[in-house]
Amino acid sequence: MADFIRNPVVALPDSNPEAHFSEEELVFTPEEKAKIVDYVAQYPTPDGAVMWVLWLAQEKFGFLPPEVMRLVATELSLPYAQVYGVATFYTQFFKEKKGTFVLDVCTCFSCQFCGGYDTLAYLEEKLGVKRGHTTPCGRYTLQEAECLGACGSAPMMQVSNGPYAYNLTPEKIDALLAAMEAGKPLPFVSVTLPQDEDEMGGNRRTDAEAVEHYVVPPQAKRTQ
Amino acid sequence: MPKVIIDGEEYAFEGRPSLLQFCLDQGIELPHFCYHPSMSVPANCRQCLVDVGAPVRDRETGEFQLDENGEKVIRYFPKLQTSCSHVISDGQVVHTARSSEKVERAQRDTMEFLLINHPLDCPICDQAGHCPLQIQAYKYGPEGSRFEFRKVHKPKKVKLGPNVVLDAERCINCTRCVRFTDEISRSGQLTIIERGVKNYPITPPGVSFDEPYSMNVIDLCPVGALTSADFRFQARIWEMASAPSITTTNAKGSNCYLWVRDNLVMRMTPRPNPDVNEFWLPDEDRLTYRWFNENRPCGPAALNKSGACSWDEAIQETAEILKNTGKETLFLASARATVEDNWMLMQLAEAVGRQVAGYIPHIEPGHGDGWLRTDDRAPNSQGCARLGLQPIDVKLWSARLEAGEVQGLYVLEDDPVAAGLCSAQALDNVQVILHYYNTTNQTLPSANVALPAATVAETIGTFVNEAGRAQRVVPAKAIKGVNRTLMMQMGVSRADQHGTPFDRWHNESHYVDCKPSWEIIPLVARNLGVEIAAQSPKKVMQHISASIPAFTGATYKAMGLSGVTLSPIETEVAS
Repeated sequence: MADFIRNPVVALPDSNPEAHFSEEELVFTPEEKAKIVDYVAQYPTPDGAVMWVLWLAQEKFGFLPPEVMRLVATELSLPYAQVYGVATFYTQFFKEKKGTFVLDVCTCFSCQFCGGYDTLAYLEEKLGVKRGHTTPCGRYTLQEAECLGACGSAPMMQVSNGPYAYNLTPEKIDALLAAMEAGKPLPFVSVTLPQDEDEMGGNRRTDAEAVEHYVVPPQAKRTQ
Repeated sequence: MPKVIIDGEEYAFEGRPSLLQFCLDQGIELPHFCYHPSMSVPANCRQCLVDVGAPVRDRETGEFQLDENGEKVIRYFPKLQTSCSHVISDGQVVHTARSSEKVERAQRDTMEFLLINHPLDCPICDQAGHCPLQIQAYKYGPEGSRFEFRKVHKPKKVKLGPNVVLDAERCINCTRCVRFTDEISRSGQLTIIERGVKNYPITPPGVSFDEPYSMNVIDLCPVGALTSADFRFQARIWEMASAPSITTTNAKGSNCYLWVRDNLVMRMTPRPNPDVNEFWLPDEDRLTYRWFNENRPCGPAALNKSGACSWDEAIQETAEILKNTGKETLFLASARATVEDNWMLMQLAEAVGRQVAGYIPHIEPGHGDGWLRTDDRAPNSQGCARLGLQPIDVKLWSARLEAGEVQGLYVLEDDPVAAGLCSAQALDNVQVILHYYNTTNQTLPSANVALPAATVAETIGTFVNEAGRAQRVVPAKAIKGVNRTLMMQMGVSRADQHGTPFDRWHNESHYVDCKPSWEIIPLVARNLGVEIAAQSPKKVMQHISASIPAFTGATYKAMGLSGVTLSPIETEVAS
């Protein structure tokens, strides 16, 4: 964002990009199709399920090039333009190929104060790439992110749209990168708010147990 | 009847109107950008904010609460409401910017936000002069900008499709264009991409905005973000005069405005008519205006006079030919000419003892889409049918013409060679009299007398669309000669209003030496010693509406500018 303030230029997307996937690859399996039917059934109109299906496609293909968005549009019988509009709205939908691990370092207000840019600079040095780029080995993509809603634990970052890493220090970052390198689960500690620590036994949430490992956030149960 | 109080004045209303539409209908101006009566209401421009409240009732007694002055206590919504999405209910009290400082302030501040990243390029913007953003910024906006930073730069002159060019910087994201493709034309080709300060409308990768109604988004756009690839930078709005007319590309008869500068038609835009085309116009209609300006004749010509001649000579020659070969002449009416012209031709044919054979059908199967485009590519087939004329049997007459069985051919504003009725060689020994619009007319080289006819942009007349709606046109541009009837009907052009023939930009060659067929034909008839009773198109229509049942009620007065629907007729129009 800082770059955008200095040089506020919005680029025109490539109107005729090369396809990344062949016709044979661009299909949903019967299991995936069954899932899509389930998603659609949750909403009054099929366009409600567009984010579910985009997410499914991103997990399957890794990212969302135009041909994948077109596939999603065909699957949901929506205008391709509408799916494209939704996908470009959210930064969590990757429009180009990213590394295996996408490191979203928050540099918004609170994290900036607590050393978000230091974290970013440390990672830039460590990985040898500038923000917004992917390492040549294709493992890491380093990105600047806007507020991820964890200001109480600044500075923080999010890994691949998944686990949050809080209160980052160079040591913590080293440990994180080592875990990624080794293919182990990422070290994760759910954080507390200082004022609650005594009362709640170190857990700021009253509705969930304090955990040592990242779990997928609870999702609404489908009503059938 | 339920009542609403707007700015202290009481208005009665019916049903459940939206506040904005109700105000506009009452002539109360409210600034707005994203609202359009024919599309859904997203309320995203936030410009139409008003203060809405309702009198407070005592819960127990049901009486209105009164303050110490004895006036009803009004409880207002905690926040200002967007009037476009607010449905009025009985007894509500509304304050617009005229009676509420809060609303005025809100509208001014909204405008300040809208203008933050809007480039100040009005001097080169096509929309300037009829730009809702410009007008409303003057009326309701702040006096200056407090924004001291660099404005966001977005893509400029992006060709979205063959006819529409996008300037994303000017866009205020009202989404009218996106809603048009989603809800009206249903092509779904446009979307808003990105978010925050970065968003703008565009087609997704690999898609061209090529739907047949794409240019309507140019009229819908309340700023200069979507401009016409064709009209871009061609003329300023204040240099042109507009005249109400109808399109003649197909049998729908969509209402349009013809915009004229220095007697050249510069563009066509839709003219709202709820009974015909609502607010829309297909691209094919808009892009056909060039034939009003280009390849126009420079006067009548006659073979015997070795080319160009005067109108008198051409008309005498026509009468001469009709005297000699009139009995063997094939009279062809035209579905491109007005009802009046066709009626005149019928009178002329009668004068030489013949009947008009019919008109050349211009049917293009598969062209229509059930909306504003029709299979019939001529504007007045229905008008011809109501006059009792039928489409000619092309095969039959083609054979007769090729076999040399026809001595003379009188063509009213059409092109038999291009229509495939006959080859140019077949007309070598035929005496051809041709009323024509453009020098590209393929029958022109075979014509013995060529009479330049006024186009729909230059004449007065009536067209009947496929649904039987009679609509009249008025001249948008002037012809070279003097015709008082035309001049009386002419809207004021810039040349008339501000200029003289001595202005530097004035170009005499933009005045085409043509005459409307309803002027030519009576002159020919007079040379044959016959007087056609009704001379001006208005009188002709009066006569027709009184004497032909299919035209009952089709007087100029009844038609006005939006036309009149005639009772259906039995005969099938061109199959």
